[in-house]
Amino acid sequence: MKKWISLAAIAGISTAVLAGCGSSANDNASPSSSASSSAGASTAPADKPAGKATELIFWGDWSGEGQKQFETMIDAFNKSQDRIKVKYVAQQDLITKFLTAATSGGSPDVLLWDRWRTPLYAPKNVLHPIDELLAKDSISKDDFYGEAIKELSYKDQLYGLPLTVDARALFYNKKLLADAGVANPPTNWQELEEAAIKTTKWDGNKLQVAGFSLGDAGLFNMYLQQAGGTMLTDDGKTNFNNEKGKAVLDFWGRLLNQDKVYKIGFEQGLGESTDAFATGKLAMTYNGPWMLTTYKKYGKDLDFGVVPPPAGPNGDKGSVMGGFGLVIPEGSKHQDEAWEFIKWWTANKDNALLWAKTSLNIPGFKPALDDAFFKDDPFWQPFLDTLEIAKIRPGHPGYSVLEGDALIPNVQLFQQGKQSAEDTLKKAQQQGDKLLQDNAVAE
Amino acid sequence: MASISKLNRHQARTAYVFITPTILLFVIFTIIPVVMAFYFSFTNYDVVKNRDWVNFDNYKRLFHDDLYWTTFKNVAYYTVIFVPLNILLSLGVAMLLNFKRFGVRLFRTMNYLPTLTSAVAAATVWVWLLHPEYGLVNTLLGYIGITGPAWLAQTETAMLSIILVTLWQSIGSNMIIYLAGLQGVPDYLYESAKLDGANALQRFRYITWPQLRPTTFLVSTMSIIGALQLFDQAFVLTQGGPGNVTKTPVYLIYQQGFNQLQMGYASAQAFILALAILIFSLINMRINKSEESIV
Repeated sequence: MKKWISLAAIAGISTAVLAGCGSSANDNASPSSSASSSAGASTAPADKPAGKATELIFWGDWSGEGQKQFETMIDAFNKSQDRIKVKYVAQQDLITKFLTAATSGGSPDVLLWDRWRTPLYAPKNVLHPIDELLAKDSISKDDFYGEAIKELSYKDQLYGLPLTVDARALFYNKKLLADAGVANPPTNWQELEEAAIKTTKWDGNKLQVAGFSLGDAGLFNMYLQQAGGTMLTDDGKTNFNNEKGKAVLDFWGRLLNQDKVYKIGFEQGLGESTDAFATGKLAMTYNGPWMLTTYKKYGKDLDFGVVPPPAGPNGDKGSVMGGFGLVIPEGSKHQDEAWEFIKWWTANKDNALLWAKTSLNIPGFKPALDDAFFKDDPFWQPFLDTLEIAKIRPGHPGYSVLEGDALIPNVQLFQQGKQSAEDTLKKAQQQGDKLLQDNAVAE
Repeated sequence: MASISKLNRHQARTAYVFITPTILLFVIFTIIPVVMAFYFSFTNYDVVKNRDWVNFDNYKRLFHDDLYWTTFKNVAYYTVIFVPLNILLSLGVAMLLNFKRFGVRLFRTMNYLPTLTSAVAAATVWVWLLHPEYGLVNTLLGYIGITGPAWLAQTETAMLSIILVTLWQSIGSNMIIYLAGLQGVPDYLYESAKLDGANALQRFRYITWPQLRPTTFLVSTMSIIGALQLFDQAFVLTQGGPGNVTKTPVYLIYQQGFNQLQMGYASAQAFILALAILIFSLINMRINKSEESIV
């Protein structure tokens, strides 16, 4: 008898702990019919008397420096007019909190949006389409990076405006390249390989200087573009099990096992201040504009340059565009005011430029880039060139799962010599197609 | 007679009043979520829009989900190595520190300290210690002429590294439980055994170990539950890589539920995991079987 009680207790404990995962939003399953006004003191009607500003709540997951940058912009906006007052709230687990808010009321009015999530969330009707607002203010989509706009769209409807754009380019250590007798930074795969071989230094079994970083198997997409391929077909299937995918893996395999320009795990766990590139232990690496500040700050003796990604065997170029946007949740009760704020920030030349200078991000609004701040800077220009050729990740809701659970694990096994290039591509294709199918959007 | 039963009734009423808050909290935060999660595991619940009944679709899909079973293999491997080592080491440390000597409290504190660190912060430090070129572990190995592996990046050593780090962190609290258990073993048992000529090993085998059975049952059960729900250390140390060897069911459940908005499917995954925990706990109960009741 007692045994059964203890058995039941174990079952209770184990399911209870697990249920923690699935239950946090359970009780709020009913649609937001009962949307409360917990979003702040915002109950004033639209035709409110002058002097009583509408308060907007803006959610993001940037804290620390990022929060200060946001607040600089918000202060500027709040001072520019007296009808709307924006307040930033930093949320640690942004997307989970937003899910809860979207179903239970208390939704924010403006949301910082990691753009790749759009194809998953837009069909669920939690984001407010902005096409009409855009037309009303005659803002042209062409003023923004087309790829970023595409990433914020679903079924020909636009759900937000791009706040930042980024893409990876090649960082190279000028001194290491010069010492190894490499006159110019590489422009294609072959030059990249030669430069990597020359700059790599081994001391017995210890790798002292790695010529080129191969630590991130997630960059496969970028290399595949350079080899002239694409990750997915138009009808949403994997498209890398072919000679183009093979070209990427052959290139990586050669660099790792034959040329030995890198060692797996070399950069793992190195923080900002001990970053391999900043401390001169890595000659070349792909990275984004977000690392410029770190390299300038920690690499005191580091003399580095940036060039667009080297082209593949047939001259194809490629890089992956990412970045953030601002969206209006469907649950917001002040969508017009939210639009005013988003428009002011992302679709105005001066403000977008102020944002760029404050945060050292590249804004999605192209007219703002036509400024000395970007034009005359040797570090910004290569990124702007890269953005011209950069493509977003495929807009399939299962894409991130395909990369993380099918492609990268198989590529890692390939890098460690556990399976051949052919097997790697075949397995990644089989597992990947299944994941794409399982994670296709359910409307 | 009547007054006694009246007293009993009064006592029973008072008892119910006392346990009401706990039971209420238990029902609201445990029973209801479990029941709802079970219901959701038969729906296509996505948190925001859909909640339609889909029969056994989620469980059928789960059956063909190779990745999910891979993660099960991973945590099973982890559990089989982690739990016995955990018991062995925490009991060993507890026995070493069970003496009343000068300074023993200091050593108890030091052994307990790793438990106080946050899992994520400690894991971050371990990533650094295990670095293939600059980490302390491989530097020390280098002194005796061994080229250490890339602990966290290689498929052969990644899970072992996670076991090492989680052991380091969990021994402290289990040591405390074992210390309490050891101090509850009555001295007269040892005394009479000594009089009968039992040596130290025999005293451990026939007195300490049987007397500690309830403690061992508690420690092993909690470690099994914790082991099968491995998530944060593995996530910080290896992000599930390399080659999926350190991905765990909880990692997948989180990903399906919150990143892919497939809360129904995630609930089904969670229930299968709960079932696995139950099975492991049953096996554990069998192994720990004793004549007297345990709990």
